Amino acid sequence: MNKLAIITGFLGSTKNRYMSYQEDRPLREKFSIASQVTGIEGFELCYPADFENPAELKELLERYHFGVAAVNYRSRRTGQWLRGSFTSARASERREVVDDLKRAMDYAAELGCNRITTCPLNDGSDYLFEMDYIQAHEGAAETLSAACAHNRQVRIGIEYKESDPRARCFFGTAGETASFCQLTGADNLGVTLDIGHAIYGGERAAQVAVALFRAKRLFYVHLNDNDARWDWDMLPGAYHLWDFVEFFYYLRLLGYDNDWYAFDVFAKEIDLKENFDAAVMLTRKMEQLTDRIDRDRMAKLLEERNPSKTVPYLYSLL
Amino acid sequence: MKTWKFAVNSAFLGKKRDRFTEYQPDRTVEEKFRMAASIPGISGIELKYPFDLRDVPLAKRLLEESGLECPAVNVDIKDATYFRHGALSARTPDARRRAVSLLTEGMDIAAELGAGIVTTCPLADGYDYPFQLDYTTAWGHFIESLRLAASHRPDIRIAIESQPHEPHAKILLANVGMVLYACAEAGMPNLGANLDIGHSFAAGESPAESASLLAAKNRLFYIHVNDNPGDGGDWDMISGSVHFWSWLELLYTLDRIGYDGWLGGEVAPKHIGPDAAYAINTRMVQRMRLLLERMGTEKIAALVRQEGIIDQTFEYLSRCLMQDPVEPLLRRETETITSGKKS
Repeated sequence: MNKLAIITGFLGSTKNRYMSYQEDRPLREKFSIASQVTGIEGFELCYPADFENPAELKELLERYHFGVAAVNYRSRRTGQWLRGSFTSARASERREVVDDLKRAMDYAAELGCNRITTCPLNDGSDYLFEMDYIQAHEGAAETLSAACAHNRQVRIGIEYKESDPRARCFFGTAGETASFCQLTGADNLGVTLDIGHAIYGGERAAQVAVALFRAKRLFYVHLNDNDARWDWDMLPGAYHLWDFVEFFYYLRLLGYDNDWYAFDVFAKEIDLKENFDAAVMLTRKMEQLTDRIDRDRMAKLLEERNPSKTVPYLYSLL
Repeated sequence: MKTWKFAVNSAFLGKKRDRFTEYQPDRTVEEKFRMAASIPGISGIELKYPFDLRDVPLAKRLLEESGLECPAVNVDIKDATYFRHGALSARTPDARRRAVSLLTEGMDIAAELGAGIVTTCPLADGYDYPFQLDYTTAWGHFIESLRLAASHRPDIRIAIESQPHEPHAKILLANVGMVLYACAEAGMPNLGANLDIGHSFAAGESPAESASLLAAKNRLFYIHVNDNPGDGGDWDMISGSVHFWSWLELLYTLDRIGYDGWLGGEVAPKHIGPDAAYAINTRMVQRMRLLLERMGTEKIAALVRQEGIIDQTFEYLSRCLMQDPVEPLLRRETETITSGKKS
């Protein structure tokens, strides 16, 4: 069974274009809140924010017996790298990003998680003819290859996303991200599959998981849900119950079942403990439902490809 | 062809942010006026209430000094402190009263500033999850609040602005149909629409059709111009940068229906700055308008009136836009195919 983690960034203040939610909280308080959530065993830590005082971080991890699912490398910074980080047209910026990412990788190695996840949110464009895609591709290959070479034991998962804050992110789909990883030739470069990003990007999450796994690029999984129109970071299963069940079913088959799931769930104004309690409960419930699927029977149903038998079977498990 | 006056939205002249990034510095009201007055083609400033209208005499003085007009007061009814669970549609009477008060205060200020319109985008009135909202009750409150605000004074019109989502996954006033529904239900002649073209694209509409429907019911009060890729995101991009043909159709339609209101704008300043963003936005709309003049709106109307000739319509429109003759290319292609066959 996969362990469950919360991304620390979701326990502090969050915002969108119009509203701000929750208050800024020190790391100590985030640990305290997360430790009260039944079933949470660790954090996905955000770099650089959570690493201002590494000694304190280690002390908190030990005190709360928390594991580290991954180090989330934030390549978006206020007033910095606004025109792209990994893909920046400026060599000096690309060097800065690589040097900084190496530091985050060192922390990931030191903490034993050996995993970086990064969502390159400023790498993208709004307008047609705004970005030189060829240069951007070369820049991304240069920076990420260099980072991967720094420590082959640390895996870097690119969390792709169709849009936001740019109308089109540079890494928008599983396919283009996986093919990019293959082109760089680094085995420790892969994909963080955020099921919410897959859903609103029009992808079938289970199908994408299989494709990434076969390419040896399925490194890590984020859980949340949305209405397939935007990345609302909602409670898992609020909209796409059966997508989750199919996703979990295939992750079990593929062997992604002794790892971590991290929640990026936006609590908005709701009490954080209550919100993440619900996220944990819903995830485990959907896993239970998934486990009720008889694998032999499903294999036969998949052979028949007859939804008039498959869908009633699934509903009989509820 | 008709001409229209262009306005900026004061909220877009200061600091902007999205979920991940902040853009542009904060600017004072004085700085915003100075900037607006310096943008070629801009003759109005839509002022945000309460943020840019905390000092009404100052705004009045700045309007006089800058020579700008205030076509509309934009009332913000999504304040996080009070409207977590809705404003006009809120279950609690206190929140509804506060939202209506903001609108009526905005109306009084609009009258003082010589603006005939109050615009508002009711973004707090929405929901995220299934089973989160009692729709019947919420819509009942929503319409009653609008009726109450509109009845405050008949000389000021309220222009409500639809948006499909954000900050909630679903906004009650999601599209042009909901605007028409709300107006019909409220039954107030001074309640109508602020048609935001980007929101219309985000909702999957053809803005020209939306404008026509609103105008047919005398509900097209005001317009915000911008663009986006139609992926549901409200990117506030330069008008015509994506939906060029739809934009031409919109301007053609505004001329046909005799729209004589303002073209307000909401264009994301991001890295280029609000002055540059508004300047190019205005130029783009003006250029498209001039192109339509060259095409001839009567000629287009004659083509649109006929059924089953969309090929001729686009032959005409594209020939006006791209004047290089395409015939030689077509001939060469035919020759190549023919010679290929021979060999």
